[in-house]
This record gives sequence, C-alpha cells and structure tokens, in this order.
Amino acid sequence: MAHDALVVQGLDAGYGAVRVLHDVSLRVPEGQIVALLGTNGNGKSTLMQSILGLVKPTRGTVRAWLDGREVDLTGRAPEEIVDLGVVLVPEGRRLFRDLTVEENLVLGAWRAAARREISHNLRLCFETFPRLEERRRQRVGSMSGGEQQMVAIGRALMSVPRILLVDEPSVGLAPIIVKQVIETIGSLKAKLGLTVLMAEQNFTQAIRIADRGSVLVHGSIAFEGETAESLRDNHLVRQFYLGT
Amino acid sequence: MLDPVLIANAVVSGLLLGCLYAIASMGLAVSFGMLDVVNIAHPAMMVLASCVIAALCAPTGFDPLLAALLIAPVFGLLGAGLYRLYHLYFERRGDEAMQGLAFFFGLMIVIEVSLVLVYGADQRWVETGYGGLSLGLGPVGLPLRMLLPALMSLACIAALLLWLRRSFTGRAVAAVAQDRDALRFLGADPIRIKTVAFGLSVALAAIAGGCLIVVQPVDAHSGHVFIGRVLAVVILAGLGSLPGTLVAALVFGVIENVTATLFGPAWSPAVAFSLLLAVLALRPQGMFGRAHA
Repeated sequence: MAHDALVVQGLDAGYGAVRVLHDVSLRVPEGQIVALLGTNGNGKSTLMQSILGLVKPTRGTVRAWLDGREVDLTGRAPEEIVDLGVVLVPEGRRLFRDLTVEENLVLGAWRAAARREISHNLRLCFETFPRLEERRRQRVGSMSGGEQQMVAIGRALMSVPRILLVDEPSVGLAPIIVKQVIETIGSLKAKLGLTVLMAEQNFTQAIRIADRGSVLVHGSIAFEGETAESLRDNHLVRQFYLGT
Repeated sequence: MLDPVLIANAVVSGLLLGCLYAIASMGLAVSFGMLDVVNIAHPAMMVLASCVIAALCAPTGFDPLLAALLIAPVFGLLGAGLYRLYHLYFERRGDEAMQGLAFFFGLMIVIEVSLVLVYGADQRWVETGYGGLSLGLGPVGLPLRMLLPALMSLACIAALLLWLRRSFTGRAVAAVAQDRDALRFLGADPIRIKTVAFGLSVALAAIAGGCLIVVQPVDAHSGHVFIGRVLAVVILAGLGSLPGTLVAALVFGVIENVTATLFGPAWSPAVAFSLLLAVLALRPQGMFGRAHA
C-alpha cells in the first residue's frame, strides 16, 4: 500500500465573501493518479489553486510528503510550493504565446532543482511529445490546442515535479486529442512514477487512467472512490456523467 | 534640384540621430511596452542622468559615455526601488491607470524642479576630446559626437536583446509581458521580475542620458522635447517589440532629418508625427506589434 504524497484536510476556501470549498478532504497516494471529478463551477480549480497557494484557504490544511519529509504547504506562497516540487498545469494552459516552444519549456525549469537538468528534461519532453521537437522553434501562439496542451504538460515536466497537478487538460480539445492527452498523462505515471492529481470534467476519459477519484459537488466532496471500479459504479457518477 | 550628397548626409545623420532616439526609447519600450508601467518621467530621468554626468565630467574631463556606464547601475537600483513603491501604492491596488500616470507625471516635475534648484536653469554641457572631430566617408561626414553615442546605443541595445533572448531572467521578462500571473505557476515571482526589468529600463535612461549630453547641451526641461518622440517611437514600433523600437527610432530620425533638410526644421515634427498617425490608422498594433484578440 503506497503512502500518501498529498493530503488535503478540512479545507475551506473562496474568494472574498464567497466560500467555494466546504470542508474538503482528499488524499493522493504516492505514484497514483487521482481524478478530481465534477462539472464546471463546483470548485475543482479553486481546490487546485488552494493546493498551490494561489488561493488562501480560510480553514484546513494541505500537507505533502516530499523525499520522505512531511511539509505543511498551508499558507505558503506559490513560488515556495513550486520550489518544493508541487507543480500545476493550469486550466487554459497559460503559455507564453509569443515565445517559442523551447523557450516556454525552458522557462518551466525555473526552480533551482530543475535548472541543473535542463538538457536531460528537454530530451524527456521531446521523447514524450515528438511533435514538440519538430516544432521547437515555432511560436506557441500559432499552434493547435492539442499541441499547446503538450507544451503545457512539457513545461510542467521541466520543473521536475514530485507531485503534478493537472487542471482540466481536456478543455477545448477535440475528442481524439483528449484521448491522447489523457493517455500521455497515464504513461507519465508509469514512466516517471509521477504522483498526479487531475481535475477533469470528462469522466469517461479521466476514469481510464485514474487509480482512484473524488467527486466534487457544490464545493464539497460528495463521493470518494477508493478504486476506479467503485467510481464507475457510484450512483452520483452515473447520475452526473453517464446519464443512467 | 535635389543634391544627392545633401540627401545622403541627411540620411546618415538621421540614422545617427535615430540611434539616440532608440536608446532614449528602449527603456520606455521595456517599462511601458512590456511591463505596462507608463513611465512618463522616463525622459526626465534621462535628462537627470545627463546633468549628473555633466557635473561629474565637466570639471574632471572624464568621458561622459564611460560615466554613463558607471552610473547606470545606480540608476537601475533607484529604478527598482521606485517600482516597488509604485507597485505597493498603485499597481497592487489596481489604481495604476490614472493615478499611476499622475504619479509619474508628478515625479517628472519633481525631477525637473530639483534640477533647476541644484544646477540652475542654464544649459549644461561637457567638452570632449572628440567633440569637434569628424570621420569622412567620401562626401558624407560622420561627426564623432554623433557617431560614438550611436555606437554605444547600438551596443547597449544588442546586449539588452541578447539578455532577453538568452538569459533565464531575460526570458522571464519577455514572459511577464505576455501573462504576468502565469509565471507563478513556474515558481517565479512576477513582481520580482518586473522589479528587475523596471530597474533595467531606468538604467537604460542613464545610458541614454550619457549619449544625449555628448550630442547636445541639456537643461532641466530638455526632456519635454523627447516625451512626444519616445512615446511615438514606442507606439510606432508596436508596444513591447524591442527590435521594432530600434527600427522605428531609426525611421523617425531619418524622416525628421530629411524633412528638415528639404523643407526646414519646422516641418520635421509635423511629418514625423503624421507618419505615426498614418501607421496607427493602417496598422493599429504598430509596425512590429502583433494583433491581439
């Protein structure tokens, strides 16, 4: 049984007077992919941003185990959290459109631990996404949505993440591309032993690679599935996603 | 009948003048174009540097261009501190649009009044050993008091472009111009990046001040002549495009000089600014700017 890499406990968070998350608890075991499921507006992105320190929780804790050491992430600045190796692929990708593929990727290696391994990790990115090597000198803004998502994931890999957070990787992509992107995230777990928390509203795709998952409804965890099977069989999931 | 030698001379000295415009505009292209900080006091900072350099060099005979390189880091640090204040009191509160502009306008007046109080209202000037010399390329003359500042300007701009392209922090500056908050996902603090970049833009004002004092005498209000020109160059280029700023500055210098030669100096601002209006009408994003959705 893998021990936990990331534990969120009793988290309340929101924006100003608006409370978005209510008493959210979640655990991500090391080396597993946890799917955070929920339709738009249920607080998935807020949870991701709270873990990264971009939204300050009003209650609760976020703790991580990095290199066998427990680190309390609650209240730390995003810069510090990224520096510890917790890295987010943000919703909407947030790439630097006027920079080239390679410039975007190399900027991912901002944290000190990543700068020493730039050439090695660049090779890793290009092995994972051969398309990016062909287009390394191309301006990111001129690429397709699927290619941009590859750059966004590649940029996060350049940061040498210990825990990878992926926010809505499928949004705005064609179904065939969604399938590829999800499969790539799955293969990264196998190849690099990555721990992944992935927020996704495309349940059918997410469940293909998830080891476990939680369903977020109106800012609270409505169901926690310990296995992919239990998620698939849950009545909430059926109701929200499968329409049965 | 047009005299080709006259035109050639006007074009060449226009290019040299354009290099001065380029170094004067480059700092503003960084602060206004890339960082979205409308530093309208930029030309006043340049003139401040000119006056400081004049005070250092006139009595000692030290070279003003070298002096500019020496005081640039000091200006850079002052600029970084100034950005921190601006960020704390305006940008962070979302007041930067009008109040931030008023802040820099006020700063410009404070600089000018201080210069008058310290140095008086007279023109300042530095004698250099090469002030009266000229290189001849056939019939075209290259006065050293224009050529040396132009070369220094080009060298500094090349170094700046190289730094932005090749260094980690430089690339982050280019990134901060495009999506400030996305840098946080990489673990970089955008405010620190902006502090470095704004400091650099003020250091460029110091370099420009050194070039200016070699080209012409300055007084406390010499910056006024430049405000319109540097804003025009930065906008003509397309906000944030630094190579574009260099090209636009050269175009501006040549057009001004050729117009002055053919029709008299009174016409040169009219023609140059008409060009700005025409470009903005045809290409609102500027010559080298990218249209953003």
